Amino acid sequence: MPSRRLFRFPWRTTAQVSADVDEELQFHLDMVAQELADEGWPEEAARIEAARRFGDLETTRRVCRDLDVHKEKQMKWMKALEEVGQDLRFAFRQLAKSPGFTLIAILTLALGVGATTSIFSVVDGILLRPLPFPAPDRLVRVYPLEDGQPSAFSVLNFLDWRRQSRTIEAASLLDAGSVNLTGAGGEPERLSGAWVSPEFFSVIKAPLLAGRGFAPGEDKPGASRVVVLSEELWKRRFGGDRGLLGRTVSLDGAPYTVVGIAGRARWPSISDLWLPFELNEHRLDPRNRGAIYLAAVARLAPGTTLAAARAEARTIAARLEAQYPEKNTGYRMDMAGMQTYMVGDVRTPLFVLMGAVLFVLLIACVNVANLLLVRASGRESELAVRTALGAGRMRIVRQLLTESVVLALLGGAAGAALAVLATRTLVALAPQGTPRLREVGVDSSVLLFTLAVSLVTGIVFGLAPALRASRPDLSTALKEGVRGSKGRPAVYARSALVVLETALAVVLLAGAGLLLRSFGALVRVDPGFDAKHAIVFELSPPSPKYEEDPQLRSLANDLTERLRRLPGVVAAGASAFGQPLSRNDISFSFNVEGRPKALPGQEVSMRVAPVTPGYFRALGLRQVRGRLFTDQDRDGSTPVAILTQAAVQKFFPNDDPIGKRIILDWSHNGVKRGGEVVGIVGDFKQSTLDRDSDPQIFLPYDQAPLGALSLVVRSTADLGAVAAAARAQVHEVDPDLPVYELQTLEELVAASVAQPRFYMLLLGGFAAVALVMAAIGLYGVIAYAVSQRRQEIGVRMALGATRRGVAGMVLRQGLMLALAGAAAGLVGAFLATRGLRTLLFAVSASDPVTYTGVALMLVLVAAFAAYLPARRAARTEPQLALRGEG
Amino acid sequence: MPKSSLDLMQGTVAVLILKTLSWGAMHGYDISRSIRQRSDGALGLEDAALYQALHRLERKGWIEAEWGLSENNRRAKFYRLTEEGRKALLAEVSTWRCYVEAVSKVLEIA
Repeated sequence: MPSRRLFRFPWRTTAQVSADVDEELQFHLDMVAQELADEGWPEEAARIEAARRFGDLETTRRVCRDLDVHKEKQMKWMKALEEVGQDLRFAFRQLAKSPGFTLIAILTLALGVGATTSIFSVVDGILLRPLPFPAPDRLVRVYPLEDGQPSAFSVLNFLDWRRQSRTIEAASLLDAGSVNLTGAGGEPERLSGAWVSPEFFSVIKAPLLAGRGFAPGEDKPGASRVVVLSEELWKRRFGGDRGLLGRTVSLDGAPYTVVGIAGRARWPSISDLWLPFELNEHRLDPRNRGAIYLAAVARLAPGTTLAAARAEARTIAARLEAQYPEKNTGYRMDMAGMQTYMVGDVRTPLFVLMGAVLFVLLIACVNVANLLLVRASGRESELAVRTALGAGRMRIVRQLLTESVVLALLGGAAGAALAVLATRTLVALAPQGTPRLREVGVDSSVLLFTLAVSLVTGIVFGLAPALRASRPDLSTALKEGVRGSKGRPAVYARSALVVLETALAVVLLAGAGLLLRSFGALVRVDPGFDAKHAIVFELSPPSPKYEEDPQLRSLANDLTERLRRLPGVVAAGASAFGQPLSRNDISFSFNVEGRPKALPGQEVSMRVAPVTPGYFRALGLRQVRGRLFTDQDRDGSTPVAILTQAAVQKFFPNDDPIGKRIILDWSHNGVKRGGEVVGIVGDFKQSTLDRDSDPQIFLPYDQAPLGALSLVVRSTADLGAVAAAARAQVHEVDPDLPVYELQTLEELVAASVAQPRFYMLLLGGFAAVALVMAAIGLYGVIAYAVSQRRQEIGVRMALGATRRGVAGMVLRQGLMLALAGAAAGLVGAFLATRGLRTLLFAVSASDPVTYTGVALMLVLVAAFAAYLPARRAARTEPQLALRGEG
Repeated sequence: MPKSSLDLMQGTVAVLILKTLSWGAMHGYDISRSIRQRSDGALGLEDAALYQALHRLERKGWIEAEWGLSENNRRAKFYRLTEEGRKALLAEVSTWRCYVEAVSKVLEIA
């Protein structure tokens, strides 16, 4: 039916199809009957004879009807497909016709979609995707609470809890630490290890790549030494040799049999290997019930809920407190889903970034919508002609939406490519210690997200212009011909969009400004030590070789003496747990001689660090009063101690600490360690720059050796050379001792603020993109308005308006929009930056300096964006403009 | 050409319809009469089969239909060849000739 292609007849219903078939067949029968009647048959007989001659009428009717119904359906589909095809072809033709517009729109969208996709890939990998273990929602972290915060278990409390609990299927202790791997045809290497209960692999249930997990009893003293290696270590160090199973490797100088290789799904993700946590006599000693240093993981029993397990943990904790009131004063226990627990710290910043990037996407949409509106007003006459020729409104909306969706999909494809690069960069730049970073990547679920985002953005930025353009005032549009209409509503719509995107940009700028100010405050914090001209590094002397005090003493003394004699070195010191800005710390409760002993449960404690005499000068701590340690403060001489100012303020608010004796609850060979206070030094940041310094006591390393060493070397020489020389010295002292985390003190400080710097840079980047896009949007609107008002401006100038006056008028128009956007944006920022509060340091979320600065910045950028069209307006030649030329 | 006798019959009806329509648009009754007259009724084509074939050809897109007025001023469904149908007719006719030639050769030898 060729006619159906030109004009759209309504599609026929099944009943109509049926009626058509009946009519066609009836016509035939009537004609035959007529023919017979003409031959002389009686009328009635003719009709019967016609039906007889026809054959099987009912079957024919049914067959024809079925064929026609199918045909009708097929045509409906073909028609729809054909229209989509038409729309697509037309859309591509339209886009190709204005390559400048298309390119800008695609780039804008690619930026928005790409940024959104790459942040989403991070959010997906870290927050959304379940942990790579079977039934990951059954995995929990269990922990005692201290001041409402998760704390650590002691061995005995953990074992008691596990024995009494009925809500768990399996539970394991977890002690993270390091071991030195030697031999195996390579340099000695320091590896991250996890000491776990044999049940560990039944808790995580991740299948091993090869071999087995730990068997029950392998945590008993005297059991054979076994180890499970990570796939990564196995491949890197042992070339992925399957024959390694059953062979031994040398860890901290002792042979361990490799029994298994753990696959990719491993936890905690930083471990290179797993060892059984030995339940030896010392660890099971009832006196060590208060020694808390262990994490615990568990798998909930089938059929129990987290709530039930938490309630039970509280009950058991109360029971443990009643049973051991001295060691378990105020004992509380709690648990949380593993994933929730792992990503707790990054949840807020990631949500902030996701929000920020959605703002950028929204601004990109607004910009493209604005471009489309400009184009639509240029196409009004085209659309009017099509409407006049009978195109329905829905048909035109569909056509325009097809164009914007095509545009969005092209932008989305470019954005996906951008996101692959951006995500790789993000992962490379992300601060160390970000959980689950290795699971982040652009995969099919992320790409599905991109596709969805592109489709939605296509509809979001296309719908408003499409609806507006599909309702043209026919007569005006046709009359105005190719010039298009200067409809006021279009100007309002575009101005509203510009105000919206300016407001969004202001919110982002305010957020980025706050993080910038916060970061500035953070790096201006006095760390209490001199970060310049010094290097630090770590050693972990393995236990059999360095188990005895004299071995540790001679290692520390020998090493610091050698380092001190290196050319250019001013001072060198060693400490255990004395490294600033570090996560490692050790605290002991204590008593002051001459004061009443603290009651059980009311003991006070402070950080403890054994240090060599050179430590203070090497780190650059301020000496406040008294003296520092000397070489005479050695094993056997009077035990001495040095306090930090924070310790003095907290524990000696009213009396002079110098001369007082402090006794720590740190027994060694039956003697409690501690000493007479001989000096006071300034505070320094032990953990992070944004936390107050903790009270701290220093003991001479000689009088309290401990098997972990951090070294500090201060030198006027080139630090790279010093680092190499220091490494060589350690190698000379003990070639089996790996040097790790060797860096300058300045690098240490920088690494400690890597996280806030990362968030600041990202948010700052988004804000900059937003600002540029908003400026382009503003420029576009003003420039378009100027081009539409050429004649009016010509009239004004002909009537005596000066060029200055015209420029001012245009500039004012731009600034009004910018100010409206800024005002709305500041209100939005005031509300939105509440979400940032936990990320800010020393800056209030409603910091007036930031808000004023942001507003000023926006107005300046807006003024610049409006200046260019204003200048063009001022150059209008009235005669040309009035004639409609030039 | 391994065709069952039913296929052959259907194919034959189709080719007859296409050939008939190649002279111009017609309604079903005219087609039926035209085929009957030109074959002197020798083919004994049943109208039931004719109409089923017409609708099958329409579904195939070889012919298309339009409602119009018959000679006696009644609404009738007129069929006409499409471009596709024209091509199909040419192909069918040459196939048919080959077939007839082959069969007659066999018969002559015998």
